[in-house]
Amino acid sequence: MIRYILPLIALVLFFLEPVFGLFSPLQFDGDYYYIVPRFLLMFLIFVSVYYDAKHAMFYGLFFGLLYDVFFIDIIGLYSFLYPMMCLIAGYIVKSVHRNLFVATLLTLVLTALFEFVLYLFFSFISLVSMPVDIFLTSRLLPTMVANSLFLVMLGWAFRSVIMARLIEKDNSKV
Amino acid sequence: MSRFFSNKRLILLMLGVILLVALISYSLRDRDNVSFPEQLIKDTVGAGQSLFSGPAHFVTGIFDNVDSLLNTYKENQHLKGRLEEFAAVQAEVTDLRSENGQLKEIVGKEADLRDYNPIQATVIARNPDQWEEKVILNKGESDGVKPDMAVMTARGLIGKVTLVTATTSTVELVSTQNPNYRVSSMVIGGEEGVFGLIEGYDAERRELLLKRIDAQIELEVGQQVVSSGLGGIFPKGIIIGEITEITIDEFGLTQLAYVKPAADFTLLNHVMIADREMPDEDDFEAATEEEGS
Repeated sequence: MIRYILPLIALVLFFLEPVFGLFSPLQFDGDYYYIVPRFLLMFLIFVSVYYDAKHAMFYGLFFGLLYDVFFIDIIGLYSFLYPMMCLIAGYIVKSVHRNLFVATLLTLVLTALFEFVLYLFFSFISLVSMPVDIFLTSRLLPTMVANSLFLVMLGWAFRSVIMARLIEKDNSKV
Repeated sequence: MSRFFSNKRLILLMLGVILLVALISYSLRDRDNVSFPEQLIKDTVGAGQSLFSGPAHFVTGIFDNVDSLLNTYKENQHLKGRLEEFAAVQAEVTDLRSENGQLKEIVGKEADLRDYNPIQATVIARNPDQWEEKVILNKGESDGVKPDMAVMTARGLIGKVTLVTATTSTVELVSTQNPNYRVSSMVIGGEEGVFGLIEGYDAERRELLLKRIDAQIELEVGQQVVSSGLGGIFPKGIIIGEITEITIDEFGLTQLAYVKPAADFTLLNHVMIADREMPDEDDFEAATEEEGS
């Protein structure tokens, strides 16, 4: 059962993202704040930090493809960026101490990077015309605040689930 | 770092980038139909997504209910004020409708740009990254949805269908930045036949741009803008919004009006797809023949 727990969690997070997306943009004092849920990306980075970058990249490719086809109709964007972020996470984590705080920080930095790359891409294909400062205040900041809340609440759960899977895998080898 | 850029990896990376660019440019073309594997993925993911969006709508529904319960007193006051006015308007509408029906009978005109069959649909997902203004509905080709159909809520137009699969359809909202997105519309409440095009969206003001209005025509702030039905697939008379400001466009030849959308684009739940009852070609030919003889 625990064998399939990682893809199962990824699948649930994939379906939860658009549900939370329904609540955005938030209107506050006449200004609008966009909150983009990035649960799946954060989970995948956790997987690549604690488990294995290859598995994370494979899941990233699969769910990225689903995301591309279902939501944005530009094939190859998420299915490239998800594995890319996992790859970077996998390389960085080799040279730093692996604990929950570092993992959380790394995940948040990569999520911000991910958002920024997407912003650059969509400006490049001129789908959006948004100045950088407005992007930072109305999109990146609220998104990062909401996602870090999510991660602080559930980061330890992600880690313990992945650890449990790791132990199970080691046991089955012996 | 040197291990990272070993030959094999470098080639793989290059191939990946080339494949990526090819795929992106393939999918960025204006596509009217989706390929079979895409349809399959869309339908499967759509089915899974419905499982999750059902409970979510239930929860937001509870919050909405609590919210409206809290506002009941204020709303009740307001509505009482409107009630008397409403009775008078209702009587007038009934009268005008029957008169309109009689007049149509006299002229022998059956088809109307206004007529449409509503297809009720539920929003199952909104593009979570919100760069493109898209929502996905749980009705598709098997329910009679076709590309370019108008989508609205009870309050007004929200967008049009761009892609259809067997059981889902993708709707691009009118608040999109897509320059190829136009809705032929008209201004009512003033002179007859003020036509223009809804073209573009001002993201800062959160208002639509109504362009190509004749410079001679005098518009007023507060006039209502509805769809004109002349664009082809949209029915006539769907409320789009209200004029908030009138200026001259960038070339100084025609007028440009800012239109505040009547519908709320956040927290969409139940929507209606307008399947226009198009005049059949046979009817059209028969009518022209009659005129000819």
